[in-house]
Amino acid sequence: MSKFSKVLCLTLALAMVCVCFAGCGGAKAGNYTAKNTEFVIGMSGPLTGPAAIYGIGVKNGAQLAVDEINEQGGLNGIKFKLEATDDMHDTKKVSTNYSSLLEKGMQVSLGCVTSAPCAEWTDLSHEDNVFFLTPSASNDDIPKYENGYQMCFADGNQGIVAAEYVNDNFKGQTIGIFYKSDDNYSAGIYNKFKDSLSKDVKTIDTVFTAANETSFDEQINKLKDCKFIFMPIYYTPASIFMTQAKGIIADDAVYYGCDGFDGIDKAEGFDITSIPQEVSMLSHFDSNATEGVAADFIKKYTDAFGTETLNQFAASAYDCVYALYGAMKKADVKDVTISASDLSDILQKEFTGGYAFENGVTGGGEPITWESTGYVNKKAIKFIIKEMDK
Amino acid sequence: MDFITTLINGLSIGGIYAMIALGYTMVYGIAKMLNFAHGDIIMVGGYTIYVFLNMTGHPAIAIITAIIFCLILGVTIEKVAYKPLRGASPLAVLITAIGVSYLLQSLAQIIFGSAPKMVTIFNFGTKNIGGLRIQISTIVTLIATIIVMIALSLFVKFTKMGRAMIATSEDKDATQLMGINVNGVITVTFAIGSSLAAIAGLFYLMKSPSLTNTLGSMPGIKAFTAAVIGGIGSIPGAMLGGFLLGIVECISYSIPVIAPYTDAIEFLILIVILLVRPTGILGKKRREKV
Repeated sequence: MSKFSKVLCLTLALAMVCVCFAGCGGAKAGNYTAKNTEFVIGMSGPLTGPAAIYGIGVKNGAQLAVDEINEQGGLNGIKFKLEATDDMHDTKKVSTNYSSLLEKGMQVSLGCVTSAPCAEWTDLSHEDNVFFLTPSASNDDIPKYENGYQMCFADGNQGIVAAEYVNDNFKGQTIGIFYKSDDNYSAGIYNKFKDSLSKDVKTIDTVFTAANETSFDEQINKLKDCKFIFMPIYYTPASIFMTQAKGIIADDAVYYGCDGFDGIDKAEGFDITSIPQEVSMLSHFDSNATEGVAADFIKKYTDAFGTETLNQFAASAYDCVYALYGAMKKADVKDVTISASDLSDILQKEFTGGYAFENGVTGGGEPITWESTGYVNKKAIKFIIKEMDK
Repeated sequence: MDFITTLINGLSIGGIYAMIALGYTMVYGIAKMLNFAHGDIIMVGGYTIYVFLNMTGHPAIAIITAIIFCLILGVTIEKVAYKPLRGASPLAVLITAIGVSYLLQSLAQIIFGSAPKMVTIFNFGTKNIGGLRIQISTIVTLIATIIVMIALSLFVKFTKMGRAMIATSEDKDATQLMGINVNGVITVTFAIGSSLAAIAGLFYLMKSPSLTNTLGSMPGIKAFTAAVIGGIGSIPGAMLGGFLLGIVECISYSIPVIAPYTDAIEFLILIVILLVRPTGILGKKRREKV
């Protein structure tokens, strides 16, 4: 090897080492807020891909709230700015999104829209102490650190609330359950549901897995005599199940889901009116509301973005921004360059100190509060997406 | 009664696995390669049906176009990606096949996006047969699969090309010496396998209306498992493996305690069969010359 080659190799090797270490430095919260001229709220969500209906809803809902707050003059004269990044519901993209948001001056966040990516966000934001209030990532472990809070019901709580409904209405009867055993969201709700279910209610449990999300003949066969089927799953497999069950499951049966059902009536290519059964879900938002704050929100949202992405995620994101604004207002935050970590300390003190968010779109007319665990306290409603054909 | 429904469901899904497994097993038997892009041909078939159904509104036109398109695609893939590697190490061919699989999935995602498309081809409804409430599409799938398999068996046994296929799978070099165009045989094999994949795509859409770019991945793996269980390279083996896997899957789903472990059980059966009969149930033992 010539001397020149040796020098060249050594230089290249050194350059590679430098590049490697450059990546390790990472983005530290606080470094990037010094030049902020607005309070920056970050979020990561599926803005494209199969779960885009959720991500776009959250982005639009949050943007609507930010625009309204800014129109009213912001907080102490300082305006807010929403920075949204696309994770395509892919956990691997979260780390990059998180770093880029920090670089854009993120001071507080809505975390991620869906649970699996948000689990990654939980760990990343804990290291830097960045406060997040997620509108929709409902896994029980999302608020496991002191900087994480939820605006939606945690999965476990959805299971408990659904079980209470079943205990009250189906005593002495047999209900069906259809859930996805290898999905944290579905299995999490199912386990809490079963734990909270009264012994007076019998169940026929059926499952599917990620490996078989398209053919449910056998599960439908098992559930064919049930008049109430609890389905803690997302709407795509639910819509396939309902399509395949036509003519086998009784027309007067009820399909009852959790927040994963949100958007089923707008799913591309699925005509919910072709399903004879009632389709309903446990929700914190009535998208058919005709009066009150929910109705106001629906009007504003549909005027700005249409009806396609109007769902409880959008409403929840709208509430998240107002809840953060309310808490910051209560703490009288005046410094636009405040670091994410300092703001997180302030917000944690507010959220654990009995802060109540009034007039929330998803509050059912009651104030929304939080437990020190990060779980939300608010009223659940049974929302009928589509009534039974009469 | 429930058990009979379970069996019918198992045979129906097993039929689809068998049809896909035939593609794997024929290509392996004749070209001695694992065509991992085979599952994705099902997806291409599904999207072709979706496009032409929307364009023309006639299911028959959409289905025939899908079969022809998949046939051409299968042959093109063979000519462009696999033929230049004939004689290369099996690993190179395997990696190329995986590459083709990802290429097809990515192209579908670019063209159609990743949001699921709902496709309704036929709406047969349900029927009460002897006290059993069964979807007609299940019966149609089962009958159509059996017809296709009988036709394929007759083709292989009684036509010149079919016999050339058997000869090529027995001994490629000797077949060539007998004046048979081995490359032509391989092309026909890919054409038949890809057409069967398109039909499997149709049956899949009849069962489940949701179409995504990864539609073929899991059925592809299950069908490959079925082909190995039955004895890869053996046409009756692929059918047997497909039906066996389908029935095991449905029985497992019908028993609540083991239902969450259905996939594990299916692959466990593969391991057990490979331990007991390494060549699969109907696989031939070959003497290796040293």
